[in-house]
Amino acid sequence: MRFRAKIVDLACLNHFSRIINTIARLAKTCVLRLTVCKLYFILSDKVANGGASMWCELSQGNFFDEFQMEGVAAEHNEIYLELVPENLSRALKTAQSAKAVKIKLTNKHCPCLRVAVELPSLSSSSRIVTHDIPVGVIPRRMWNDFREPNVPDFDVSLIYLPVLKTMKSVVERMKNLSNFIVIEANLSGEMNLKIETDLVSVTTHFKDLGNPPWASEDGCQSSEAQGRNIESMAEACIDIKKLQQLLAGQQVNPTKALCNIVRKRIVHFILLHEEVSLQYFIPAIA
Amino acid sequence: LTVFGRAIHAIARISDEFWFDPLEKGLALRSVNSSRSAYACVFFSSMFFQHYCWTAVSQPCQKEKQLSLPCKLIIKSVLPVFRCANVLEKNVEKCSISTNPNDHHITFQLLCRHGVVKTYNLTLQECDPLQAIFAKHMCPNILKVHSRLLADVMVHFPTSQEEITLSVTPMKVCFKSYIEEDTDFSRTVLTEIQLSPEEFDYFQVGVDSEVTFCLKELRGLLAFSEATSVPVSIHFGRCGKPIAFSIEDLLLEASFILATLCEAEKEAASPEPACCPQPWDRKPQQKGNTPSMDSAKPPSALAKQKVKSNPRGTERDAPGTAGAATAEAGGGEATEAPYEKNSYLYKYCIFQFHSLFFGAVSYKEKEAIGDTFQSLVTASDTEEDFGALQSSQV
Repeated sequence: MRFRAKIVDLACLNHFSRIINTIARLAKTCVLRLTVCKLYFILSDKVANGGASMWCELSQGNFFDEFQMEGVAAEHNEIYLELVPENLSRALKTAQSAKAVKIKLTNKHCPCLRVAVELPSLSSSSRIVTHDIPVGVIPRRMWNDFREPNVPDFDVSLIYLPVLKTMKSVVERMKNLSNFIVIEANLSGEMNLKIETDLVSVTTHFKDLGNPPWASEDGCQSSEAQGRNIESMAEACIDIKKLQQLLAGQQVNPTKALCNIVRKRIVHFILLHEEVSLQYFIPAIA
Repeated sequence: LTVFGRAIHAIARISDEFWFDPLEKGLALRSVNSSRSAYACVFFSSMFFQHYCWTAVSQPCQKEKQLSLPCKLIIKSVLPVFRCANVLEKNVEKCSISTNPNDHHITFQLLCRHGVVKTYNLTLQECDPLQAIFAKHMCPNILKVHSRLLADVMVHFPTSQEEITLSVTPMKVCFKSYIEEDTDFSRTVLTEIQLSPEEFDYFQVGVDSEVTFCLKELRGLLAFSEATSVPVSIHFGRCGKPIAFSIEDLLLEASFILATLCEAEKEAASPEPACCPQPWDRKPQQKGNTPSMDSAKPPSALAKQKVKSNPRGTERDAPGTAGAATAEAGGGEATEAPYEKNSYLYKYCIFQFHSLFFGAVSYKEKEAIGDTFQSLVTASDTEEDFGALQSSQV
């Protein structure tokens, strides 16, 4: 099992660091899945995570100048590593002006991702900062735990999110008042964020958000939608902290931000950037 | 004034109290941490102050001229005075510090803008003087570098990192996280920074060495030196010998002397954090020798020191040799340091009127080299012998 990659371009490096920052805010530990073409950051919906799960996918070619990996075995050419994204984020934080960053999988005292940052210095030879980040190798028999989650039956609602910055400030303020937030939306582009406590209830209404067309597998999306009352709201009550973490972690506005609500079951957020897609599932609280 | 305030902040990192020590030539602030593994001293020459007035009080019972008794202050009470260094600059026009030895008071008076006068009256505790003897010029390894570089290096380590190891060879310099014996590798991120000698303003490596010291305590000095923008000098030797970080310019000098972990100690699996491996018994300023020190060194060495250091201890201008150093080293007699710059600082390091050593080193029964930390300071009175040595016998 080998892995070795290098980033030389500063813009790519910054972009990669930002993604890692976002991941670090969403999960304390997560799984990094490496394939020949892509990297995936996966959080599976275990109870320990409060049931939330995450799937973040990026194409390695968009970030790395060099990328070589050799998986566990020829027919399973993938590597699954468990790591603490905060460690990786911190290691990359000091690489703001780096000449190059190399990441390598090593095994000195224990399996580690060795991040070596080459920094410019006043002298002729560069400064090299190395961080050995411990990782756990996940054996093949457990790989099934980390499959891409199915997009839940969208029988309810799929809607574009409002401007994330606005949404973030609304949610942040609501967080002070309540631990749970109800998020509801319908197919005519309306979304409400509601909190309710003994003393107060606050609702923020968003309109004209737009609903993306979603081609389902059998291609009869339009007929299904017609069968439904497009005004009816689908709602789910979720932990407000998780929503706030998701919104706070977005440092750059995504190209597309969608949300999919399954009534009283789960809220599925999809954030698409040019080179990376992030899906985050927050289960509804009964 | 900002500088003074920052100095106090820096010293505050070491311990909760500090020694306030007016001397003829200037004001010294010193501190040592509870396990005697870190010592800080900032000396402001009288020129630093607009007005410096100091009177000698002679005590008849002492042999030498007892100039004035240094005293201790609790830092927490002084910190608020110099709390916001930036604010100080803007608001305070003058700060005057006066002591009244008779009723053990010290007064800080800040004359601020708009006629506001803030007066802080604090109690002083008398105590024995504190002094670290450290033969900097005898260190084989000397690095001098701008504080910015050190700060840039330290930023890569997590703030929770307690100890780091500095490893030097003539070809490269490396700072890395210290790996304790029982480190859980699956949980800790290990960081290592490699620099080339060219990055240092002055680079002298006499002996390849790897020393481990407490980063937390050092951060105070780093913050302070950034404020003064004076380069930092690092003096050290083999592991086990203390490492000194110092800055000096015309008006002030500051030194932080930290204990280093000795490799041999690691085998002993000390349960304490590396930096302060032995809980030092704080011998309450005994006038006599502490027994542990006796046992540590072969008696002959002690005897030799006794003879040599006594007279030296009282000389004001003994160039850079705390006497005991000579006894053991055999060579290295009071020669002028090749590294001239130190001589002033060094003279200052020898306390003229009280050669005071303190601090028991709970030496194990290993030989001297195996000692985790050779005491910087040992307590005794002038007539007694000067027990354990200071450090850096090369």
